[in-house]
Amino acid sequence: MRARLAVVATLAAVALTLPSPSLAYPTWFEFARHSNTFSTLTMVWQIGAGWYGTQSWRAGSGVSTDACWVGHGWLPTGYYDLKGHWDNYNAAIAGRVFYLQDKQCWNGTWRTQLFVHSEETAAQGQYCPTAGDDPYCWEGDNDYYSNGCIKLARGGNPSDLRLMHDGWHAKSGDGRHGNFTIGSWLYVHD
Amino acid sequence: MKGVFGARITAVALAVALVAAAALALFAVLGANGAVARTGPLTVHAGLEAPPSPFVRANGLYDGKGGKAQLEARISGAMTGPLSPVAVKSGDGKLVVYNTWHELRAVDGERSFSAQGIGDGDVLGVPELRVYDGSGHDELLARGAYSAAWRADGAIAFVEATQPEFRAGGNYEGRVVVRQSIRGRNVAWIKEPAHYVVYGWAGDRLLVYRVGLGEKLELLVADTPGRVRPLADGSAIALSPDATRVAVLDQEATNVRVLDVATGRELAWLDVTTATPALRWVSYSGSWAGDHIVTPASAGLAVFHTGPSSLELEQVLSLDRAQFPVGVQQPRFADDDGNDISATVDIPPSASGGAVSFFIKCDRITRSCERGAAAPAKDWLRPVEQEGGTP
Repeated sequence: MRARLAVVATLAAVALTLPSPSLAYPTWFEFARHSNTFSTLTMVWQIGAGWYGTQSWRAGSGVSTDACWVGHGWLPTGYYDLKGHWDNYNAAIAGRVFYLQDKQCWNGTWRTQLFVHSEETAAQGQYCPTAGDDPYCWEGDNDYYSNGCIKLARGGNPSDLRLMHDGWHAKSGDGRHGNFTIGSWLYVHD
Repeated sequence: MKGVFGARITAVALAVALVAAAALALFAVLGANGAVARTGPLTVHAGLEAPPSPFVRANGLYDGKGGKAQLEARISGAMTGPLSPVAVKSGDGKLVVYNTWHELRAVDGERSFSAQGIGDGDVLGVPELRVYDGSGHDELLARGAYSAAWRADGAIAFVEATQPEFRAGGNYEGRVVVRQSIRGRNVAWIKEPAHYVVYGWAGDRLLVYRVGLGEKLELLVADTPGRVRPLADGSAIALSPDATRVAVLDQEATNVRVLDVATGRELAWLDVTTATPALRWVSYSGSWAGDHIVTPASAGLAVFHTGPSSLELEQVLSLDRAQFPVGVQQPRFADDDGNDISATVDIPPSASGGAVSFFIKCDRITRSCERGAAAPAKDWLRPVEQEGGTP
């Protein structure tokens, strides 16, 4: 019995000293602004020096292309820190969400409380009670519009949101949830 | 017989002449008072000689007639953008309250906080409200405060932050307070801490935005101190001249509703995506004069006609997106007939230069506009709103 415990303890100690996970790359995102409903979110992971992998999805942001328009315009350009990530966020924005730092646009207006997210419930499901536009239901392309946040599609199987979310954890090897900071996690550009 | 025919011919000729004269008279009247407002493109050319008066730019208050007063601090709508005016004149015309941003740490907008050594909790700046009295006296109204609106009796409402300093990584929350005069004590009208922006007074009622996650906008009404109710999910386009009705916009920026402020009852409704001509979106912070509402729209400007229980899209004035990529901000009717519209135009930075702002003034009958001189966008070239703070 003692011998078995010793083996288990040794294995545990070895496991803790191993790099974990074995395939963890520096990983970040780039949002290329083309239009409010047809921009591109790209996940970039650095495999080696000068060697990158990428995966891209259609994404939207804002209703207008004026980044200084609070609650209406798309995201200002520049680098953003990640403030936190949740799988079951339960608020006006719900489900799998990535919380971005505040950012000033070109005239100094602060854009705040912005996320990368989609339209799903806190339990990552779909709630579509009406024939109209429901906030936790991905009905189609009009859902790419937002008050400023970056939005990914929740339709299809797997959805773009799932691919982005799972891809982030898999490529970065970062399994954290809740409040934490990752520097320059997102780059927004034209 | 011949006599009868002759009489008939004379009568017909007389009738034709009368109809023609009436048509000419009608045409002359319509042409003179500007009743013919047609949808179409706006032509914009330089030469605006009379900008909206008064107006602000950087640390100057201009009367529009060549006079300039020096303000103690630079104008900034950093906390509000176009949700509320940056400068508002009191009802008696003696005081101007203006928004400023006291920067305590320079932030490079293109770099992330972490890349600049900015950590969670670091102080970046403090928004402040100041009051200029017209005689050169300029004083601090409140620190950690923004978005002010004068009531007709001289009381002033604004947002007072829970902590004055705006910090990286935090949520800037506050409460909505009213002072009976600029040196009066603060009376909390909305106590629950949240991210608020004061929109304006509707008579004795106060309209306030609550800005939520994802910059979701919710319009609230405070009837009296502590008595607050939601009015609409979305934003406000304009308040009626008698302050009894407000035109609001939903989160999708497509459905316009006219609501009775006192009861919240819906009086009229229009989906702009199915109107003629259809619009992709309209936006908040327009204005209302007589029976007309003007507001920014995906095409440029939208003019609505309102009735007691009706709302129609009367005219769409389109702007060349190559010249005006992000349209106009805060359009206002500039004459009593509702034919002239003034607005601020912002041009974002590009490879050819930095961001700039300028005024335009448009005649919606001839669909022609004059544009003023450009100023750096960070100078916050904006008109001073008049009495009541009703944007």
